[in-house]
Amino acid sequence: MDLVKPIPRPSTTTRPFWDGLNERKVQIQRCDACDSWVFYPRTRCPSCLSDLLIWREVSGQGVLYTYTLARQPTAPHFADETPQQLAVVELDEGVRMTSTLVNVEPSDIVIGMRLQPYFDQVTDDVTLLRYQPG
Amino acid sequence: MNAEIDATSEKFLRGKYAIVGVGETPYTRGSGTTTRALGTYAVRRAIEDAGLRMDDIDGMLSYSGNDSIPSTAVAGDLGIRLNFYMDVMGGGSSTEALIGIAMGVIEAGMCKTVVIFRSMNGYSQIRIGGTGRGSGASNLSGDGLFGRAYGQSSAAQAFAQTFMRHMYDYGTTPEQIAHVKAIHSEHASNNPKAYYKHRVTVDDVLSSRMIVKPLHLLDCCVETDNATAIVVTRMDRARDCKHMPATILSVVGRCCKPRIDNHYQAGPISTVAGHYAKEILWPNAGVGPDDVDLTGSYDAFTFTTMLQLEDYGFCEKGDGGEYVSSGIMRLGGARPNNTSGGHLCEGYTHGMNMVIENVRQLRGEIDDSCPTDTNGKRQHTYDYSTGGCRQVRDPEITANLGWAMPGTGSALVMAKGER
Repeated sequence: MDLVKPIPRPSTTTRPFWDGLNERKVQIQRCDACDSWVFYPRTRCPSCLSDLLIWREVSGQGVLYTYTLARQPTAPHFADETPQQLAVVELDEGVRMTSTLVNVEPSDIVIGMRLQPYFDQVTDDVTLLRYQPG
Repeated sequence: MNAEIDATSEKFLRGKYAIVGVGETPYTRGSGTTTRALGTYAVRRAIEDAGLRMDDIDGMLSYSGNDSIPSTAVAGDLGIRLNFYMDVMGGGSSTEALIGIAMGVIEAGMCKTVVIFRSMNGYSQIRIGGTGRGSGASNLSGDGLFGRAYGQSSAAQAFAQTFMRHMYDYGTTPEQIAHVKAIHSEHASNNPKAYYKHRVTVDDVLSSRMIVKPLHLLDCCVETDNATAIVVTRMDRARDCKHMPATILSVVGRCCKPRIDNHYQAGPISTVAGHYAKEILWPNAGVGPDDVDLTGSYDAFTFTTMLQLEDYGFCEKGDGGEYVSSGIMRLGGARPNNTSGGHLCEGYTHGMNMVIENVRQLRGEIDDSCPTDTNGKRQHTYDYSTGGCRQVRDPEITANLGWAMPGTGSALVMAKGER
Protein backbone atom coordinates (compact mmCIF):
# COMPACT_ATOMS: atom_id res chain seq x y z
CA MET A 1 0.00 0.00 0.00
CA ASP A 2 1.41 3.32 -1.07
CA LEU A 3 1.03 5.60 1.92
CA VAL A 4 0.45 8.97 0.31
CA LYS A 5 -0.91 11.52 2.75
CA PRO A 6 -4.01 13.44 1.72
CA ILE A 7 -2.84 16.55 -0.12
CA PRO A 8 -5.15 19.50 -0.80
CA ARG A 9 -5.98 20.11 -4.44
CA PRO A 10 -6.96 23.77 -4.53
CA SER A 11 -10.34 24.65 -6.01
CA THR A 12 -11.30 27.99 -7.52
CA THR A 13 -12.62 29.11 -4.16
CA THR A 14 -9.64 28.02 -2.07
CA ARG A 15 -6.73 28.64 -4.45
CA PRO A 16 -5.74 32.06 -3.07
CA PHE A 17 -5.31 30.53 0.38
CA TRP A 18 -2.96 27.82 -0.91
CA ASP A 19 -1.14 30.17 -3.31
CA GLY A 20 -0.52 32.50 -0.37
CA LEU A 21 0.98 29.74 1.71
CA ASN A 22 3.36 28.88 -1.13
CA GLU A 23 4.59 32.50 -0.84
CA ARG A 24 4.85 32.23 2.97
CA LYS A 25 1.81 34.46 3.41
CA VAL A 26 -1.42 33.79 5.32
CA GLN A 27 -4.41 35.12 3.40
CA ILE A 28 -8.01 34.82 4.52
CA GLN A 29 -11.23 36.30 3.22
CA ARG A 30 -12.80 39.45 4.56
CA CYS A 31 -16.38 40.46 3.82
CA ASP A 32 -16.41 44.08 2.73
CA ALA A 33 -20.17 44.29 3.19
CA CYS A 34 -20.35 43.45 6.90
CA ASP A 35 -16.70 43.74 7.97
CA SER A 36 -16.31 40.16 9.14
CA TRP A 37 -13.50 37.68 8.61
CA VAL A 38 -14.44 34.44 6.86
CA PHE A 39 -12.67 31.09 7.14
CA TYR A 40 -12.62 28.51 5.61
CA PRO A 41 -12.85 30.00 2.10
CA ARG A 42 -16.38 30.37 0.74
CA THR A 43 -18.12 31.96 -2.19
CA ARG A 44 -20.42 34.06 0.00
CA CYS A 45 -20.26 35.53 3.46
CA PRO A 46 -22.27 33.27 5.81
CA SER A 47 -23.17 36.27 7.97
CA CYS A 48 -24.67 38.60 5.34
CA LEU A 49 -24.62 36.52 2.13
CA SER A 50 -22.61 39.16 0.30
CA ASP A 51 -20.22 37.93 -2.36
CA LEU A 52 -17.83 40.81 -1.66
CA LEU A 53 -15.24 38.52 -0.14
CA ILE A 54 -11.78 40.03 -0.51
CA TRP A 55 -8.57 38.13 0.16
CA ARG A 56 -6.45 39.93 2.74
CA GLU A 57 -3.04 39.08 4.08
CA VAL A 58 -2.95 38.73 7.86
CA SER A 59 -0.12 38.03 10.29
CA GLY A 60 -1.28 34.46 10.76
CA GLN A 61 -0.60 34.76 14.45
CA GLY A 62 -3.02 33.61 17.07
CA VAL A 63 -3.58 31.51 20.16
CA LEU A 64 -4.17 27.82 20.79
CA TYR A 65 -7.94 27.39 21.19
CA THR A 66 -7.85 23.65 21.83
CA TYR A 67 -5.76 20.61 20.90
CA THR A 68 -5.35 16.88 21.27
CA LEU A 69 -2.51 14.40 21.09
CA ALA A 70 -3.41 11.40 18.96
CA ARG A 71 -1.33 8.38 19.86
CA GLN A 72 -3.41 6.13 17.61
CA PRO A 73 -3.26 7.43 14.02
CA THR A 74 -6.55 7.33 12.13
CA ALA A 75 -4.83 6.07 9.05
CA PRO A 76 -1.42 4.46 8.58
CA HIS A 77 -0.41 7.52 6.55
CA PHE A 78 0.05 9.46 9.74
CA ALA A 79 1.82 6.82 11.83
CA ASP A 80 5.11 8.70 11.40
CA GLU A 81 3.65 11.76 13.11
CA THR A 82 2.47 10.15 16.35
CA PRO A 83 1.69 11.59 18.69
CA GLN A 84 -0.16 13.79 16.21
CA GLN A 85 -0.35 17.25 17.77
CA LEU A 86 -3.73 18.27 16.36
CA ALA A 87 -4.85 21.78 17.16
CA VAL A 88 -7.52 24.38 16.63
CA VAL A 89 -5.86 27.79 16.32
CA GLU A 90 -7.76 31.02 16.82
CA LEU A 91 -6.21 33.73 14.69
CA ASP A 92 -6.04 37.25 16.05
CA GLU A 93 -8.81 38.09 13.58
CA GLY A 94 -11.11 35.65 15.43
CA VAL A 95 -11.44 32.81 12.92
CA ARG A 96 -10.42 29.30 13.93
CA MET A 97 -8.58 26.75 11.85
CA THR A 98 -7.45 23.16 12.27
CA SER A 99 -3.72 22.61 12.11
CA THR A 100 -0.88 20.71 13.72
CA LEU A 101 1.69 22.00 16.19
CA VAL A 102 5.42 21.71 15.47
CA ASN A 103 8.62 22.68 17.29
CA VAL A 104 7.00 22.09 20.68
CA GLU A 105 7.11 19.20 23.13
CA PRO A 106 3.71 17.70 23.99
CA SER A 107 4.23 18.54 27.66
CA ASP A 108 4.73 22.22 26.83
CA ILE A 109 1.42 22.61 24.96
CA VAL A 110 -1.16 24.69 26.84
CA ILE A 111 -4.46 26.12 25.65
CA GLY A 112 -4.15 29.88 25.22
CA MET A 113 -0.46 29.86 24.22
CA ARG A 114 0.66 32.29 21.50
CA LEU A 115 1.33 30.70 18.14
CA GLN A 116 2.89 31.73 14.86
CA PRO A 117 2.78 30.15 11.43
CA TYR A 118 5.18 27.45 10.32
CA PHE A 119 5.03 27.06 6.55
CA ASP A 120 5.55 23.40 5.66
CA GLN A 121 6.03 22.84 1.95
CA VAL A 122 4.91 19.23 1.55
CA THR A 123 4.99 19.02 -2.27
CA ASP A 124 6.19 21.26 -5.10
CA ASP A 125 2.73 22.80 -5.23
CA VAL A 126 1.33 22.63 -1.72
CA THR A 127 2.37 24.24 1.57
CA LEU A 128 0.52 23.36 4.76
CA LEU A 129 0.01 25.92 7.50
CA ARG A 130 1.30 24.41 10.70
CA TYR A 131 1.84 26.29 13.94
CA GLN A 132 4.69 26.76 16.42
CA PRO A 133 5.06 28.70 19.67
CA GLY A 134 5.83 32.36 19.20
CA MET B 1 -26.35 34.61 12.39
CA ASN B 2 -29.59 33.92 14.16
CA ALA B 3 -28.81 31.04 16.45
CA GLU B 4 -32.18 31.00 18.15
CA ILE B 5 -34.44 28.06 17.49
CA ASP B 6 -38.13 27.84 18.16
CA ALA B 7 -39.54 24.74 16.56
CA THR B 8 -42.04 24.09 19.30
CA SER B 9 -45.33 22.93 17.86
CA GLU B 10 -48.97 23.02 18.81
CA LYS B 11 -48.20 19.85 20.79
CA PHE B 12 -50.90 17.98 18.93
CA LEU B 13 -48.64 14.97 18.49
CA ARG B 14 -47.62 14.75 22.14
CA GLY B 15 -48.77 11.35 23.36
CA LYS B 16 -50.26 10.36 20.00
CA TYR B 17 -47.53 7.94 18.91
CA ALA B 18 -45.69 5.11 20.60
CA ILE B 19 -42.93 2.58 20.28
CA VAL B 20 -44.68 -0.76 20.45
CA GLY B 21 -42.01 -3.26 19.47
CA VAL B 22 -38.27 -3.68 19.97
CA GLY B 23 -35.82 -6.33 18.85
CA GLU B 24 -32.16 -7.01 18.31
CA THR B 25 -29.57 -9.60 17.39
CA PRO B 26 -26.84 -10.66 19.80
CA TYR B 27 -23.94 -8.18 20.09
CA THR B 28 -20.87 -9.97 18.74
CA ARG B 29 -17.48 -9.47 17.19
CA GLY B 30 -17.71 -11.67 14.18
CA SER B 31 -21.37 -12.24 13.38
CA GLY B 32 -20.40 -14.64 10.63
CA THR B 33 -23.32 -13.41 8.59
CA THR B 34 -24.50 -10.53 6.44
CA THR B 35 -26.08 -7.22 7.44
CA ARG B 36 -29.11 -8.48 5.51
CA ALA B 37 -29.49 -11.52 7.72
CA LEU B 38 -28.86 -9.45 10.84
CA GLY B 39 -31.34 -6.76 9.82
CA THR B 40 -34.02 -9.26 8.88
CA TYR B 41 -33.62 -11.03 12.22
CA ALA B 42 -33.89 -7.83 14.28
CA VAL B 43 -36.86 -6.48 12.32
CA ARG B 44 -38.75 -9.75 12.68
CA ARG B 45 -38.05 -9.80 16.43
CA ALA B 46 -39.33 -6.24 16.84
CA ILE B 47 -42.53 -6.94 14.92
CA GLU B 48 -43.19 -10.12 16.87
CA ASP B 49 -42.43 -8.30 20.12
CA ALA B 50 -45.19 -5.86 19.23
CA GLY B 51 -47.58 -8.75 18.77
CA LEU B 52 -48.04 -7.76 15.13
CA ARG B 53 -47.93 -9.84 11.97
CA MET B 54 -45.56 -9.07 9.12
CA ASP B 55 -48.44 -7.72 7.03
CA ASP B 56 -49.33 -5.22 9.75
CA ILE B 57 -46.12 -3.38 8.79
CA ASP B 58 -46.27 -1.07 5.78
CA GLY B 59 -43.47 1.41 6.45
CA MET B 60 -39.73 0.93 6.86
CA LEU B 61 -36.83 3.25 7.63
CA SER B 62 -33.14 2.55 8.06
CA TYR B 63 -29.91 4.46 8.35
CA SER B 64 -26.33 3.61 7.56
CA GLY B 65 -22.99 4.88 6.39
CA ASN B 66 -22.85 2.69 3.30
CA ASP B 67 -22.29 -0.28 5.60
CA SER B 68 -25.75 -1.85 5.70
CA ILE B 69 -28.64 -3.30 3.74
CA PRO B 70 -31.60 -1.35 2.35
CA SER B 71 -35.19 -1.69 3.51
CA THR B 72 -36.21 -3.36 0.26
CA ALA B 73 -34.07 -6.41 0.98
CA VAL B 74 -35.34 -6.81 4.53
CA ALA B 75 -38.95 -6.27 3.51
CA GLY B 76 -38.55 -8.82 0.74
CA ASP B 77 -37.11 -11.41 3.10
CA LEU B 78 -40.06 -10.98 5.46
CA GLY B 79 -42.75 -10.85 2.78
CA ILE B 80 -43.70 -7.31 3.73
CA ARG B 81 -45.38 -5.09 1.13
CA LEU B 82 -44.41 -1.49 1.86
CA ASN B 83 -46.45 1.67 1.37
CA PHE B 84 -43.43 3.74 2.35
CA TYR B 85 -39.71 3.21 2.88
CA MET B 86 -36.57 5.28 3.02
CA ASP B 87 -32.92 4.49 3.72
CA VAL B 88 -30.90 7.46 4.82
CA MET B 89 -27.28 8.25 5.44
CA GLY B 90 -26.42 8.78 9.05
CA GLY B 91 -24.98 7.57 12.26
CA GLY B 92 -25.47 8.53 15.83
CA SER B 93 -28.25 11.07 15.62
CA SER B 94 -30.47 8.95 13.40
CA THR B 95 -32.64 6.80 15.67
CA GLU B 96 -34.56 9.64 17.27
CA ALA B 97 -34.67 11.60 14.00
CA LEU B 98 -36.21 8.64 12.16
CA ILE B 99 -38.76 8.12 14.93
CA GLY B 100 -39.90 11.68 14.22
CA ILE B 101 -39.99 10.97 10.50
CA ALA B 102 -42.02 7.81 11.12
CA MET B 103 -44.58 9.85 13.08
CA GLY B 104 -44.67 12.38 10.24
CA VAL B 105 -45.28 9.91 7.44
CA ILE B 106 -47.98 8.12 9.42
CA GLU B 107 -49.57 11.48 10.21
CA ALA B 108 -49.45 12.32 6.50
CA GLY B 109 -51.40 9.19 5.75
CA MET B 110 -48.57 7.57 3.81
CA CYS B 111 -48.53 4.40 5.89
CA LYS B 112 -49.74 3.02 9.20
CA THR B 113 -46.96 1.30 11.10
CA VAL B 114 -43.22 1.81 10.59
CA VAL B 115 -40.31 -0.37 11.55
CA ILE B 116 -36.92 1.35 11.88
CA PHE B 117 -33.69 -0.64 11.80
CA ARG B 118 -29.93 -0.31 11.94
CA SER B 119 -27.80 -3.27 10.83
CA MET B 120 -24.03 -3.27 10.86
CA ASN B 121 -21.00 -5.52 11.04
CA GLY B 122 -19.27 -2.68 12.83
CA TYR B 123 -16.38 -4.81 13.98
CA SER B 124 -15.87 -7.49 11.36
CA GLN B 125 -16.61 -5.45 8.23
CA ILE B 126 -16.69 -1.65 8.19
CA ARG B 127 -15.26 0.01 11.29
CA ILE B 128 -16.24 3.55 12.22
CA GLY B 129 -13.41 6.02 11.80
CA GLY B 130 -11.91 4.10 8.97
CA THR B 131 -8.86 2.78 10.74
CA GLY B 132 -6.71 1.20 8.10
CA ARG B 133 -8.67 2.76 5.26
CA GLY B 134 -7.98 6.03 3.51
CA SER B 135 -7.52 6.85 -0.11
CA GLY B 136 -4.47 9.04 0.32
CA ALA B 137 -4.26 12.03 -1.98
CA SER B 138 -7.69 13.29 -2.81
CA ASN B 139 -9.56 16.42 -3.66
CA LEU B 140 -10.02 17.76 -0.17
CA SER B 141 -12.62 20.44 0.19
CA GLY B 142 -14.59 22.33 2.81
CA ASP B 143 -13.84 21.36 6.36
CA GLY B 144 -11.98 18.33 5.09
CA LEU B 145 -9.43 20.59 3.48
CA PHE B 146 -8.46 21.85 6.88
CA GLY B 147 -8.86 18.67 8.87
CA ARG B 148 -7.78 15.69 6.81
CA ALA B 149 -4.78 17.43 5.33
CA TYR B 150 -3.43 17.67 8.86
CA GLY B 151 -4.31 14.10 9.72
CA GLN B 152 -7.49 14.73 11.61
CA SER B 153 -10.35 12.54 10.47
CA SER B 154 -11.62 10.22 13.18
CA ALA B 155 -14.45 10.95 15.58
CA ALA B 156 -12.10 10.53 18.53
CA GLN B 157 -9.70 13.14 17.16
CA ALA B 158 -12.39 15.65 16.30
CA PHE B 159 -14.40 15.23 19.50
CA ALA B 160 -11.30 15.24 21.73
CA GLN B 161 -10.78 18.91 20.91
CA THR B 162 -14.19 19.64 22.41
CA PHE B 163 -13.35 17.57 25.49
CA MET B 164 -9.99 19.32 25.97
CA ARG B 165 -11.57 22.73 25.77
CA HIS B 166 -14.30 21.69 28.21
CA MET B 167 -11.62 20.70 30.70
CA TYR B 168 -9.96 24.08 30.17
CA ASP B 169 -13.18 26.09 30.42
CA TYR B 170 -14.75 24.31 33.37
CA GLY B 171 -12.04 22.36 35.19
CA THR B 172 -13.58 19.01 34.25
CA THR B 173 -11.20 16.10 34.92
CA PRO B 174 -10.63 12.72 33.22
CA GLU B 175 -11.11 11.11 36.64
CA GLN B 176 -14.65 12.53 36.90
CA ILE B 177 -15.49 11.34 33.39
CA ALA B 178 -14.07 7.86 33.97
CA HIS B 179 -17.03 7.28 36.27
CA VAL B 180 -19.22 7.06 33.16
CA LYS B 181 -17.43 3.90 32.04
CA ALA B 182 -17.34 2.47 35.55
CA ILE B 183 -21.08 3.03 36.02
CA HIS B 184 -22.06 1.72 32.58
CA SER B 185 -19.93 -1.37 33.23
CA GLU B 186 -21.85 -1.98 36.47
CA HIS B 187 -25.06 -1.88 34.47
CA ALA B 188 -23.67 -4.16 31.77
CA SER B 189 -22.71 -6.73 34.37
CA ASN B 190 -26.47 -7.21 34.87
CA ASN B 191 -27.16 -7.43 31.15
CA PRO B 192 -26.81 -10.93 29.71
CA LYS B 193 -26.72 -9.42 26.18
CA ALA B 194 -23.81 -7.05 26.84
CA TYR B 195 -20.58 -7.60 24.94
CA TYR B 196 -18.49 -6.48 27.94
CA LYS B 197 -20.05 -7.81 31.12
CA HIS B 198 -17.17 -7.28 33.53
CA ARG B 199 -17.11 -4.31 35.88
CA VAL B 200 -14.22 -1.88 35.63
CA THR B 201 -13.11 0.83 38.03
CA VAL B 202 -12.20 4.48 37.55
CA ASP B 203 -8.56 3.46 38.01
CA ASP B 204 -8.92 0.84 35.29
CA VAL B 205 -10.05 3.58 32.89
CA LEU B 206 -7.31 6.01 33.85
CA SER B 207 -4.60 3.38 33.63
CA SER B 208 -5.70 2.09 30.22
CA ARG B 209 -3.70 3.05 27.15
CA MET B 210 -4.00 6.66 25.97
CA ILE B 211 -5.63 6.83 22.52
CA VAL B 212 -6.38 10.49 21.81
CA LYS B 213 -5.89 12.89 24.69
CA PRO B 214 -7.88 12.95 26.99
CA LEU B 215 -9.42 9.63 25.86
CA HIS B 216 -8.02 6.40 27.23
CA LEU B 217 -8.89 3.09 25.62
CA LEU B 218 -11.69 2.52 28.14
CA ASP B 219 -13.15 5.97 27.47
CA CYS B 220 -14.00 4.69 23.97
CA CYS B 221 -16.98 2.50 23.10
CA VAL B 222 -16.91 -1.06 21.88
CA GLU B 223 -17.24 -1.91 18.17
CA THR B 224 -19.63 -4.78 17.53
CA ASP B 225 -21.64 -6.59 14.86
CA ASN B 226 -25.39 -6.31 15.41
CA ALA B 227 -28.78 -5.15 14.21
CA THR B 228 -31.50 -3.39 16.17
CA ALA B 229 -35.09 -2.48 15.32
CA ILE B 230 -38.10 -0.68 16.74
CA VAL B 231 -41.74 -0.39 15.66
CA VAL B 232 -43.54 2.98 15.71
CA THR B 233 -47.27 3.41 15.32
CA ARG B 234 -50.15 5.67 16.26
CA MET B 235 -51.72 5.35 19.70
CA ASP B 236 -55.04 3.97 18.43
CA ARG B 237 -53.13 1.01 16.99
CA ALA B 238 -50.62 0.89 19.85
CA ARG B 239 -53.42 0.07 22.28
CA ASP B 240 -53.95 -3.26 20.57
CA CYS B 241 -50.33 -4.34 20.67
CA LYS B 242 -48.88 -6.89 23.05
CA HIS B 243 -47.11 -4.58 25.50
CA MET B 244 -47.90 -1.33 27.26
CA PRO B 245 -46.93 1.37 24.74
CA ALA B 246 -43.84 3.50 25.29
CA THR B 247 -45.58 6.77 24.51
CA ILE B 248 -43.65 9.42 22.60
CA LEU B 249 -43.93 12.82 24.24
CA SER B 250 -41.38 14.66 22.14
CA VAL B 251 -38.70 14.12 19.54
CA VAL B 252 -35.88 16.21 18.09
CA GLY B 253 -33.98 15.20 14.96
CA ARG B 254 -30.48 16.28 13.98
CA CYS B 255 -30.69 19.67 15.62
CA CYS B 256 -27.53 21.65 14.87
CA LYS B 257 -25.21 24.24 16.28
CA PRO B 258 -24.57 27.30 14.08
CA ARG B 259 -22.12 26.72 11.17
CA ILE B 260 -22.66 23.01 11.25
CA ASP B 261 -20.14 22.52 8.46
CA ASN B 262 -17.48 23.67 10.91
CA HIS B 263 -19.20 24.13 14.25
CA TYR B 264 -16.26 25.36 16.27
CA GLN B 265 -16.06 28.42 14.06
CA ALA B 266 -19.14 29.83 15.76
CA GLY B 267 -19.39 29.93 19.51
CA PRO B 268 -17.72 27.80 22.14
CA ILE B 269 -16.53 24.37 21.03
CA SER B 270 -17.30 23.04 24.53
CA THR B 271 -21.05 23.56 23.99
CA VAL B 272 -22.87 20.84 22.05
CA ALA B 273 -26.10 20.63 20.05
CA GLY B 274 -28.19 19.73 23.09
CA HIS B 275 -27.97 23.40 24.04
CA TYR B 276 -30.28 24.09 21.08
CA ALA B 277 -32.18 20.80 21.00
CA LYS B 278 -33.44 21.19 24.55
CA GLU B 279 -35.43 24.27 23.49
CA ILE B 280 -37.49 21.98 21.27
CA LEU B 281 -37.41 18.82 23.36
CA TRP B 282 -38.75 19.95 26.72
CA PRO B 283 -41.52 22.36 25.63
CA ASN B 284 -42.93 19.80 23.21
CA ALA B 285 -42.73 17.05 25.83
CA GLY B 286 -44.40 19.14 28.50
CA VAL B 287 -41.86 17.88 31.00
CA GLY B 288 -38.37 18.97 31.97
CA PRO B 289 -35.13 17.31 33.03
CA ASP B 290 -36.25 17.11 36.65
CA ASP B 291 -39.20 14.93 35.62
CA VAL B 292 -37.01 12.33 33.90
CA ASP B 293 -36.50 9.03 35.75
CA LEU B 294 -33.75 7.62 33.56
CA THR B 295 -31.62 8.77 30.68
CA GLY B 296 -30.06 7.12 27.67
CA SER B 297 -27.04 9.08 26.51
CA TYR B 298 -24.95 8.50 23.42
CA ASP B 299 -21.78 7.15 24.97
CA ALA B 300 -19.55 6.79 21.95
CA PHE B 301 -17.05 8.13 24.46
CA THR B 302 -17.38 8.75 28.18
CA PHE B 303 -17.15 12.49 27.53
CA THR B 304 -20.11 12.58 25.15
CA THR B 305 -22.41 11.42 27.96
CA MET B 306 -21.23 14.26 30.19
CA LEU B 307 -21.61 16.91 27.48
CA GLN B 308 -25.12 15.81 26.55
CA LEU B 309 -26.48 15.60 30.07
CA GLU B 310 -25.07 19.05 30.77
CA ASP B 311 -26.37 20.77 27.65
CA TYR B 312 -29.82 19.17 27.89
CA GLY B 313 -30.09 20.78 31.31
CA PHE B 314 -29.69 17.87 33.72
CA CYS B 315 -27.17 20.06 35.52
CA GLU B 316 -25.75 23.56 35.15
CA LYS B 317 -23.38 24.18 32.25
CA GLY B 318 -19.91 23.29 33.44
CA ASP B 319 -21.09 20.95 36.19
CA GLY B 320 -21.18 17.86 33.97
CA GLY B 321 -18.07 16.36 35.53
CA GLU B 322 -19.63 16.64 38.96
CA TYR B 323 -22.94 15.20 37.72
CA VAL B 324 -21.50 12.08 36.13
CA SER B 325 -19.25 11.32 39.11
CA SER B 326 -21.93 11.94 41.74
CA GLY B 327 -23.51 8.50 41.61
CA ILE B 328 -26.82 9.84 40.31
CA MET B 329 -26.40 7.82 37.09
CA ARG B 330 -25.99 4.44 38.81
CA LEU B 331 -28.76 1.90 39.10
CA GLY B 332 -30.30 2.78 42.45
CA GLY B 333 -29.33 6.42 41.94
CA ALA B 334 -31.82 9.21 41.34
CA ARG B 335 -31.56 9.12 37.54
CA PRO B 336 -29.76 6.09 36.11
CA ASN B 337 -28.13 6.46 32.70
CA ASN B 338 -27.65 3.73 30.07
CA THR B 339 -28.86 0.85 32.18
CA SER B 340 -27.93 -1.62 29.43
CA GLY B 341 -24.28 -0.58 29.57
CA GLY B 342 -24.73 1.49 26.42
CA HIS B 343 -22.20 1.77 23.65
CA LEU B 344 -19.33 1.59 26.12
CA CYS B 345 -20.27 -1.93 27.22
CA GLU B 346 -23.40 -3.46 25.67
CA GLY B 347 -22.60 -2.89 22.01
CA TYR B 348 -22.49 -0.27 19.29
CA THR B 349 -25.50 0.21 17.10
CA HIS B 350 -25.53 3.95 16.55
CA GLY B 351 -27.94 4.92 19.29
CA MET B 352 -30.81 2.49 18.87
CA ASN B 353 -29.93 0.07 21.67
CA MET B 354 -30.36 2.81 24.28
CA VAL B 355 -33.89 3.50 22.96
CA ILE B 356 -34.70 -0.21 23.10
CA GLU B 357 -33.47 -0.33 26.69
CA ASN B 358 -35.67 2.56 27.77
CA VAL B 359 -38.74 1.03 26.10
CA ARG B 360 -38.19 -2.14 28.13
CA GLN B 361 -37.56 -0.10 31.30
CA LEU B 362 -40.91 1.70 30.86
CA ARG B 363 -42.65 -1.65 30.40
CA GLY B 364 -41.00 -2.92 33.59
CA GLU B 365 -39.73 -5.86 31.57
CA ILE B 366 -35.97 -5.52 31.49
CA ASP B 367 -34.27 -8.71 30.30
CA ASP B 368 -31.90 -9.28 33.21
CA SER B 369 -31.23 -12.46 35.17
CA CYS B 370 -34.03 -12.06 37.71
CA PRO B 371 -36.27 -15.13 38.19
CA THR B 372 -39.49 -15.48 36.21
CA ASP B 373 -42.87 -16.53 37.54
CA THR B 374 -45.00 -19.33 36.12
CA ASN B 375 -46.31 -16.96 33.45
CA GLY B 376 -42.78 -16.17 32.33
CA LYS B 377 -42.95 -12.66 33.81
CA ARG B 378 -39.75 -11.54 35.42
CA GLN B 379 -39.84 -10.88 39.16
CA HIS B 380 -37.40 -8.05 39.63
CA THR B 381 -35.35 -8.04 42.81
CA TYR B 382 -33.89 -4.51 42.51
CA ASP B 383 -30.65 -5.99 43.79
CA TYR B 384 -28.17 -4.24 41.51
CA SER B 385 -25.06 -6.22 42.45
CA THR B 386 -23.15 -8.07 39.73
CA GLY B 387 -25.29 -10.49 37.79
CA GLY B 388 -28.45 -9.15 39.39
CA CYS B 389 -31.30 -6.86 38.48
CA ARG B 390 -31.17 -3.81 36.26
CA GLN B 391 -34.83 -2.83 36.24
CA VAL B 392 -35.42 0.71 37.55
CA ARG B 393 -38.33 0.96 40.01
CA ASP B 394 -41.48 2.14 38.22
CA PRO B 395 -40.01 4.61 35.76
CA GLU B 396 -42.54 7.01 34.24
CA ILE B 397 -40.45 9.24 31.97
CA THR B 398 -37.27 8.54 29.98
CA ALA B 399 -35.02 10.71 27.82
CA ASN B 400 -32.75 9.53 25.02
CA LEU B 401 -30.00 11.80 23.78
CA GLY B 402 -28.61 11.05 20.33
CA TRP B 403 -25.30 12.41 19.10
CA ALA B 404 -23.79 12.64 15.63
CA MET B 405 -20.97 14.93 16.66
CA PRO B 406 -20.64 17.89 19.04
CA GLY B 407 -22.57 20.04 16.58
CA THR B 408 -25.54 17.74 15.80
CA GLY B 409 -27.90 15.97 18.16
CA SER B 410 -31.29 14.24 18.36
CA ALA B 411 -33.43 13.43 21.35
CA LEU B 412 -36.56 11.56 22.45
CA VAL B 413 -38.77 11.70 25.53
CA MET B 414 -40.99 8.72 26.25
CA ALA B 415 -43.55 7.98 28.95
CA LYS B 416 -44.99 4.81 30.41
CA GLY B 417 -48.32 3.92 28.82
CA GLU B 418 -51.03 6.08 27.39
CA ARG B 419 -51.08 9.64 28.71
